[in-house]
Formats: sequence, structure tokens, C-alpha cells
Amino acid sequence: MIRFEGVDKSFADLSVLQAVSFNIGNGETAALLGPSGSGKTTILRLIVGAIAPDQGGVDVPATSAGYVFQEPRLLPWRTARQNIALPLRARGWHKKRSLTEADKWLVRLGLQGFENYYPSQLSGGMMQRVSIGRALAISPEVLLMDEPFSGLNMELRETLLTLVCDVIADGKLTTLYVTHYLPEAIRIAERVLMLNSNGELRELSRADQADAINAFVQSVSHGLMDADAVNFRRDKKSTTQLSDTEQKPAAERVLERMKL
Amino acid sequence: MAHPANQPKLTVHGSHRQSLYAAAGVLTLIAGWQVMSMWMHPAIVASPVASLLAFYGLGQSGLLWRQLLITLQRLVISLCIGCGIGLTAGLLAGTVPRIRSFLEPIRWVAMTLPAIVIAVLGMLWFGMGGGQAIFLVAFIVTPVVYVNTVGGILDIDPQLLEMGRTYRFSRRLLLSQIYLPGIALPIISGLTLATGIGVRGIILAELLGAFDGVGHSFSHAWTHLKTDDMFAWVMAALALMAVLEFCFLQPVRRRLRRWQASTVQ
Repeated sequence: MIRFEGVDKSFADLSVLQAVSFNIGNGETAALLGPSGSGKTTILRLIVGAIAPDQGGVDVPATSAGYVFQEPRLLPWRTARQNIALPLRARGWHKKRSLTEADKWLVRLGLQGFENYYPSQLSGGMMQRVSIGRALAISPEVLLMDEPFSGLNMELRETLLTLVCDVIADGKLTTLYVTHYLPEAIRIAERVLMLNSNGELRELSRADQADAINAFVQSVSHGLMDADAVNFRRDKKSTTQLSDTEQKPAAERVLERMKL
Repeated sequence: MAHPANQPKLTVHGSHRQSLYAAAGVLTLIAGWQVMSMWMHPAIVASPVASLLAFYGLGQSGLLWRQLLITLQRLVISLCIGCGIGLTAGLLAGTVPRIRSFLEPIRWVAMTLPAIVIAVLGMLWFGMGGGQAIFLVAFIVTPVVYVNTVGGILDIDPQLLEMGRTYRFSRRLLLSQIYLPGIALPIISGLTLATGIGVRGIILAELLGAFDGVGHSFSHAWTHLKTDDMFAWVMAALALMAVLEFCFLQPVRRRLRRWQASTVQ
């Protein structure tokens, strides 16, 4: 279980989190939504102990945590398989065994043939897949994902989202998934936590989620989504409206997930 | 993204064209030397041919090799001491800010003191001979390696370090997988710089206060106005640098680059 109790966190004079409290139960998946700079990544960094709270308590069991960073953070002097194998080596795995395990994840992530490629030889999407493999290869009990698909195209995003959903379900992982996008949050998570720009956190009730989704579906059907709704767009730079054939499946997926 | 089979392979290879340019540079240098020797008195500038003959003569007598070996031994010992201290202190200072602050005044003093002052102090503390030469070179090489090491560590991407800590990398793993590969290139630069400084330093120290070595032999030739020999000893000093470049620096560079890109150990 991940437990935050009245956590405050500031950087210099900038207050980022204010009295943040929440629990995520074992095997539960929660999404953390919020605008840029609201402190979403700070919560993840508090969970892994990279920073300490100014006030309040962060209670995370001493378990292994897989962390998919917003940017891949791969070692440039290591190949794809070596990057995945390193956290296993840090856990005392034998070199050969850790590389074999890394190869399995590379196949699962569709990166067979690229095992011995260095990060500079891989595309952004491939690097992020290696990063996901690195997080999952250690069989984590807690999985933290920080907007992992923000730079990827829609097709790859869908593929990886499906894979991650399967892994989370199979392993019953306790997961905190940070994202900007409500549909993605609802697709992956049972609970949605919303962080506002003042650093205050609240959990969206089912009714709140339904309202938000209705507004979302309405805006999709009217082609009014702004560029932030990239998960239903072909790419981030596109300004074209969703076509009729794109709108319907997108809306249906959201409604199905919401059981509306 | 192209399939692996279509990807260009990463290879490190010397360019033939660059070698030609380097050879042209050497020839220009020799030509300039020849022109100077034609304009000036042989007692002031010996010609390349005369210097080469003197070099050959010193080689035939065995004096050249004996003195070169003595200087080379001193240089290698002092470089090992200087690089060892500089690298260790740099690693500590790069990773622990308090140690960096503590060492900063010492670094400043070490880099500011003129080599001649250190040479005189070395002679005072170690007496005349090889000891003071080793002291001088170790003293001037240490801060060079230290500064490069600290700079390399501070330039390491902090996000990679956070990744390593998040995945519970041990200190050993952090050092071998993030710190050392991250500072390999600055260390190569530091070593190259240190070796060049070391050759100049050892010649200076031997010239001032040793009873043998290339620097002393140069001083001896100067005292007896043997300009041919003086230039021959200059060539010997350059040969010393070439030996270090091909037998030490280049293998170290190759090894560091190979190690940087090596498999997980």
C-alpha cells in the first residue's frame, strides 16, 4: 500500500504540494491527473524516496518499484538489453540470467532485432519501450509511470497502453499512473486522483468522472478537442479534427471503460 | 525506424585523409626548421640533418637510450602518482560537495604556483636528483586530472543518477555504470593534457636539478655549446612524447572507449 498523510512539499519558496493525503491499496491502480507543474512528478519522487516531504508522512513498503520516467533515461553507453538488465544486476541477478530476462522483455515489447542497439540508434518510441521493459523486468510490486506515452503516436500509444494494462492485471501491481489525459487515466485506472494547480489533491467520484467523460465525448463528437487530447489524435502537432470514423471508436472505448 | 539490418554500424576508424593532413603538418614544420637553420648560425639553430646525425650518434653511443629510459621511468612514476591522486580526489570531490569545497583552495594553490617555484621547493625538500623531478611532475599533473574528473562528474546527467538510485543501484554499480563511463572522455582529455605537461615538467626539473635524464643531457649540451646535441635532445624529448602517445595514451583511449561501450560486467 502507498499512503500519503498530510504531505507538504516546497522547492525554495514555491509550494508544490499542500496537505496531500491518499491511499492506494495493494494491487490497486490509480491515475494521477493534473496540469503541468501541479506536482504530479513530485509525488512519484516522494514515493521512491528521491526527495523527502517537508511535512506529513509518506508510507511505502520496502518493495521493489518499477519507475517509467517521462523521458526514457537510458544509459547512452549501454545497449537496449543492457539497459533493461541493469536493474536486475542491481538486485544480484547473474549477468547471463539478467540478459536473458532482458531479451524476453525486448521480444514482448516488439524490439527483437534491436537488442544490441544503443539508445542513440533508437527512436523515441523505442527508447520509451526499453524504459518500460526496464521497469517491468524486475517484477515490481509497485509500478510508477510518469506520462510514459506523452511523446508517442496514437498507434504506438494504444499498443503500449494495452500491454501495460495486461501486465498490471496479470501481476496485480500497485500502480500509480501520472497523465494529463482523462481518457487515458480512466482506461488504465480504477481510481482517478486529481491534483490542482495549488497542489491540492482530491479523488474524482464516479459521478465526477462521468461528467468529465460526457464533456469529453461531447467535445470529441463536436471536434472541439484541443491539442492536448493527443491520445485520440494522429499526432501531437495535428490540428485537424477527428474524422467520423475516429470519433465513434474513441467515444465508445471511453464509455465502455466507464460502463456508462 | 529502419530494421537493424539496414542500420549503419557504428565503427571507430581513423581517416586516411586526416593522416595525410597530419603528415603535411609535420613536413611543414621540418621545412620551417630547415629554412630557419639556413638563415641563422649553426651555433644558434642546428639544421634538421645535423640534428639527426647528432641524434644518431647519441643513439650509437647508447647515451640516448640510457637517458631516455631514466626520464621515461620518472615520467611514468610521476604520471601514475599525479593521475592516481587527481582521479581519486576528483571522484570524491565530484560526488561529495563538502569535499569539493574543502579541496578548492588546495586546487587553486596547486594550479597557481609557477612550475619553477615548485621545482625549487622540490629541490629543497627532496635534494638534487630524480626525486624532485617526480615531485614536480606529480604536483603539476594532479590538479589537471582532478579538474577534468570533477568537471566530468558534474556534467553527468542528474536524471541518470536519479534513475540509478531509484532502481537501487549499489555504489559500485553507480560508479561502474554511470560515473566512470560518464567521465571517460574528460579523463582522456585530462590524461592527454597531463602527459604533455608532464614531459615539459620532467625536462625542466632534470635541467634544473638532476644528474641524468634527457633534461640534464640537454643542459650539458647547452653548457658545452653543442647545438647539434641540444637539438638532438629536443628530438629525444619529442620521441619520449611519441612513445607515451603510442604506447600509453592511445591504448588507454582505445581501452576506455571500448570499456565505455562494453557489455554489462
